[in-house]
Formats: sequence, structure tokens, C-alpha cells
Amino acid sequence: MNQSQTSTGPILTTDGIPLKVSLKKAERINKIRAFLLVLPLLAFILITFLVPIGDMLARSVDDRQINTVFPKTFEVYKKWDRQGLPSEEVYKTMFFELKNSEGYAVGKASTRMNYSKSGWKSLLKKSKRKFKKIEEGPFKEKMIATDKKWADPEYWLALGQMVDPTTMGYYLNAVDLKYDSSKNIVQQKENRRIYNKTWIKTFKVSLLVTLFCLLLGYPISYLLATLPMKYSNLLMICVLLPFWTSLLVRTVAWMVMLQQKGVLNNLLVMSNLIADENRFQLMYNQTAVVIVMTQILLPFMVLPLYSVMKTISPTYMRAALNLGASPMHAFYKIYMPNSVPGVSAGCLLVFIIAIGYYITPELVGGKDGQMVGNWIAYHLKTTLNWGLCASLGAILLAMMTVLYWAYNKIVGIENIKLG
Amino acid sequence: MRKAIKAAFFGLISMAFVGSAIADITFVSWGGAYTASQQKAYIDTYSKGSSITVENYNGGLGEIKAQVEAGNVTWDVVDVLPDQAITGCDEGLFVKVDQSEFINDMVVPPVSDCVVPQIFWAYTAFYDKAAFPGKKPKNIKDFFDVKKFPGKRGIHTWANALIEMALVADGVKASKVYEVMSTPEGIDRAFAKLDTIKDHVVFWSAGSKPLELVSSGEVVMALAYNGRIGAAILSEGKNFEYIWDATVLEQEYLVAIKGGNEKEALEFMAHASTAESNAEQAKYIPYGPMRKSSIGIIKKGEPWFITSSGNIDILPHMPTTPKVLKRAVIGDPVWWADNGAEVHERFGAWKGS
Repeated sequence: MNQSQTSTGPILTTDGIPLKVSLKKAERINKIRAFLLVLPLLAFILITFLVPIGDMLARSVDDRQINTVFPKTFEVYKKWDRQGLPSEEVYKTMFFELKNSEGYAVGKASTRMNYSKSGWKSLLKKSKRKFKKIEEGPFKEKMIATDKKWADPEYWLALGQMVDPTTMGYYLNAVDLKYDSSKNIVQQKENRRIYNKTWIKTFKVSLLVTLFCLLLGYPISYLLATLPMKYSNLLMICVLLPFWTSLLVRTVAWMVMLQQKGVLNNLLVMSNLIADENRFQLMYNQTAVVIVMTQILLPFMVLPLYSVMKTISPTYMRAALNLGASPMHAFYKIYMPNSVPGVSAGCLLVFIIAIGYYITPELVGGKDGQMVGNWIAYHLKTTLNWGLCASLGAILLAMMTVLYWAYNKIVGIENIKLG
Repeated sequence: MRKAIKAAFFGLISMAFVGSAIADITFVSWGGAYTASQQKAYIDTYSKGSSITVENYNGGLGEIKAQVEAGNVTWDVVDVLPDQAITGCDEGLFVKVDQSEFINDMVVPPVSDCVVPQIFWAYTAFYDKAAFPGKKPKNIKDFFDVKKFPGKRGIHTWANALIEMALVADGVKASKVYEVMSTPEGIDRAFAKLDTIKDHVVFWSAGSKPLELVSSGEVVMALAYNGRIGAAILSEGKNFEYIWDATVLEQEYLVAIKGGNEKEALEFMAHASTAESNAEQAKYIPYGPMRKSSIGIIKKGEPWFITSSGNIDILPHMPTTPKVLKRAVIGDPVWWADNGAEVHERFGAWKGS
């Protein structure tokens, strides 16, 4: 004690290096070793998770597809006052850029241009073929002679949305807005407003599924956690068995159960509870999506709930009862607060899975059960509008982040427990 | 000893080269009875050396585009719909092919430079004979007339063919349908017609579903792919009846993916697009060959369709006989490539409202 107070210089190790330095060195080696251990996982996450998300975010604003094909046209286009038809100069530049550009580039550009105005695709393709025969101007008249769409200002105005190499257009599209020709934000045409409704529906369905999963899952988990082992194991298998069954099989089984001439309706008619012509429409609509998804996602609620409830000591409840609380009161005051971490984990898990669900709504959704995932799949496969897919995906991601943040503020993320 | 090893080594290497001179190819199609018919007609009869792996997909260009963009092409030959054939060829996803062998023998000209012909299939309305003991529905007007023929209708969840059928049911001539559809009023008119059955429809998205819906009595009439209806009648003995009116014919082609084993793919496609091969496929599935001369081969060979209890005449089940063609709409993939996204969004809004 005395010695350490009197010594003024740094403590040295036996080989004369200050202890601090020596310790740091040893620690550094340990750190590197630890880092090397997690490196494979880090690289895996980076490559399979962060890079694709980055790519998705980039695609959602990227609008170079067309700017690289018609750069000069856009230069002269910017000078146009957007009244009537553009000048001969715009037509002429467009003509030569289309005529001389490489075929595949035009193909890709025309796909992009078709998102802004239906019809660009075939117009460019036909025109490229016909332009081969035209050598000199006046180009405006000759282009219009090949196809009268060139005289339709709507096509030219639609180009105005694409003048910049980056765009917010896909995000606008994803919430039923769009750019007009001078890049003002306006509402989408009424009969094409579909995404806002879909967002609301997706949220509604996900919330309902989460709620029903909680209502059904809570008592099951309570039973699982409190029953003697030999019954609870059996019950656990009943929970897990459907979990191990193929998703498609379960979905199709529900179709058999719920359709109008299905098991449930037949039973109701047979027992004279409803008339033959008043069979319930339980399949191919939103109701079906909620019912089927609830059943499919139930294990994701039960498992975290169960593992948390298992840790709640039965002595707490006994103590509460012993001290004179009614069973209801004891449950409400003691058991429920203790199970909150499991409830939060289960609800978040179910909600997150539900909001991006695709296959079940596709199969049983019918007329009004389509969710955002179905539109993403449609644009990914059929229209190749990956920009719109990316923006829909990015909005989903942002929503989940906001939800997570709000949850952290209100409940606290340390309150989540999977076991 | 060393020499022997060397010789063996080089021998192995050269063998590897000889072995890889004929690459294996992956053939991608829609699965089910359709792929089975292709397997029997094209793959089992192919003897050029490539061994062929068959995979299934659900259509669309998404996966192909991803493979080509990533430079990791694992599919070689893909069975595609015409609008995909157009877009994929325009965007450089497919290999251009020499079409001189068949170009003058096609029922309609090929939609792009990248395709070889396969079949015509058709969106066709049908019903169970037992559902209508008295008056039977005869045309597409009856399909859209819920007063004359009460009961639910099964229709698909996308807009293709529904717009066309609605317009014909509303009195437009089959040959003028795309002219009318190219005007905004035409589309409004189609949706107005669809409104009249809206409260009476059940939607399906998987091809086997409409047959189930009609069999179980869930609906009294449905639209389906004609080959599925035919298969149900011919192989399962169902009591279904076609409504051969305003059937919407769709084309089906093979394409070779750029960056795959192109040479072998093109060789296989040449084999799979001869008039004889196209006719051969009709032995196993009632879709219409796209080559004119295939029909002649089938006519001569009737009964052509093979079942376990002997052969059956196939022409009455084909969507491309003159009698059916007269009242059919030939689907226009160019129109759908242009307007598909817009109409589909509107259709989505219509469905959900």
C-alpha cells in the first residue's frame, strides 16, 4: 500500500515494458482473436443481409435506365415549356437517339417509360423498326406519320417525370401519388388508387392476426406452463405438430373446411342452424386470410409466451392468494405483469411475420384479401417494375423500424424475452 | 511410371473436355400435366446427347432477369407466355433464334425473334352438365347473365382475358375487342360489365382450382385453362361441358436464356418445335399446336389422345379448330405488354372495392 503511493514512475513488467502497454498488447491480440471468430458471421450478414437491403434501397430511387439511353433528348426536353407538342428539335434528337441506340437498352428504357404512360413500350419498339427507312426531316411530321401516338402530348408529358437520374417516383407510386409533367406531386388517377387501401388492409389484417393469436395463445401457454409434465408434453406436441406440417397443406386444409360447400358450412346446414342458401362466405376473402393466418402463426405466439411463463414461479401466485387477493386480482396484479416480456416478444414476432405474408393471402385472399406482399410479387414477376417493389419493401422496412423504436420507447426493448 | 501417370492425367483431362462438349440443359416449365406432356413428347424423344433436367416455375421474368443480371444462369430453356417472350427478347434476356424452319407454318406469326412455337391454350368457360338439367348456357353472354343462369361464377384473380370476355358479352365483336380496349371508354365498358357479376364471383389463382369449384358445386360456371378442363373430362371422366365462345387464346413459346448453355438449348428447341413434335404433344394434353401442319398430322392420326383405356379423338377438345377459332379472341400480347400494369392495378382496385 505504502509502496504504491510512493512510486511515481509507471509500473514496469519484468522485461522493462510498461505494464499498461503490455496489457494493451495482450488485450489487442485477444480482441483480434475474438473478431476473427465472429468474422465469418459478420461477412455472412454483410453479404446476405446488408448488401441486398442496400441494393434494394438504391433501386427504389434509381432512374438511370432511361437517362443513359436518351441523354441528349432530355437535355433539349428540359427547355420545352410543356405546352402543346415539343419542338422539331426534341423530335429530331429523340429520333436519332432511338434510331442509333442499342436494341436492348431501348427495351429496358421502354419498360421504364411504360410505367409512366402505358403504350410507350410498343411505340418505341415499332418506331425503332420504322425509323430505319427515314433518312431526313422534317422529323416531327414523319414520326407522327409512322405512329399517331407521337402526336399525343400525354406521351411527351410523361417523360417529364423521368428527367433526373434519381427519382422519388416509385415511393410516390407506392402511396397512390405521382409526379405530373413538371414534377409536382399529384394524386394518382382514381381507378388506379390501390396501394393506400392495401397498406391499411395489410395493417388491419396483421393487427387482427396478432390480437387473435394472443387471445388464443395466452390460455394455451398458461396451460402448458402449469400442467404436470405428462399432459403438457402432449399439449406441446399438439402445438408443434401443425408447426411442422407444410404451410401449403394447412392452407389447403382450411380451404376444404371453410368453403361454401365445405365441412363447416355443411355441418351448419345439416344441423339446421342456417338455411342452405345462406351459407357463410368464409373463403376467398379477408375473413379467410385472418382465420388461416391466425392458425398458421399461432406457434410463434405460444412458444415465447410458454418459455416466459415457465419461468414465473408458482410461489408468487400462491403468496398473492395467501395474502388475501382474489384469484382474478392475483392473476391481474402478479401473473400478467410477469408475462409481459413473453407477450411483447410473441406479438412483435407474429406482427412482423404477418405484415410481409404472401402465400396465404394469395391462395385464400380472393377478392379483398390481397396484402402488400402480393403486389410486390406481382410487380417482381410480371411487370418487372423492381423500383416499385423496392420502394414497397423499403416502406415496410421503415414501418417496422418505427414500430420497433416506438416499442422501445413505450415498453423498453430489454423487456422482450424469448426464453 | 511417371510417364504412365502423366498419360493418365492428360487422358483424364481430355476426357473431361470431351465429356463437357455436350452440356446438360435445364428445362423449365409450369409443372403438372403440361410439363408431363412436354416430357413425353420432347424430352423422352430427344437423342442429341444432352441430358435434360426439368424444373418448375410459376411464370414471370423475375427469376430469369435475376439470373442474367447476376451472371449466374442455371436455366437454359424456359417455357414462356407471349408478353414475357416480347419483354425478355427486347431486354436481351433471351437468345435470338433462326425461325426460317417454321415461320411460314404458324397459325399466328411469332411474337418475337427469340421464340420457337409450342401450343395455344385458351381461357375457356365451362360448367358441369348436372348443374343445368334444363336450359344450358351456350355463350359468354350467358356466363355474364346471372338472371338467366343464377349461381356463382369462378374467375381468375388477374385481368387478362376477363376484359376481353366482358366486352364480347357486352356485344363487341371478337375481332374488334382490342380496338375497343385501346380507348379509355372501352376499358370502362368492360369494368361496367364485370360489375354486373361482381357479387356472384369466386376468385381462383391456381389452375386446378376452377375444376374443384365446379365439381364441388361451389360455383355453377367457371373460367379455366382449356387443357385442364380437357384433362378432367378425358382422364377423370368428369361431366363437364365447354362453352366455346369468346375463348381467349394465349400463346406459349420456348426461349433460350442468354448466358446458359445456348448451343445445346437451341438444338433442343429445334427438336421441340417441329410439326411432328408439336403434334406429338397433343397425344398427352388437349392444347392446340401452333404449327398449321401439326393439325393435319393429328387429323390423319385420330384417335390421337392416349388414355389407359384406349385412344380418344382429341380435336373436339382443341381450342384451335376452325369452328372454335371463328368465335375466339386471339390474345394480343403487345396490348397487354403496354397496358397490363395499368389495367391490373385497376382490376385490383375493382376486386377490393
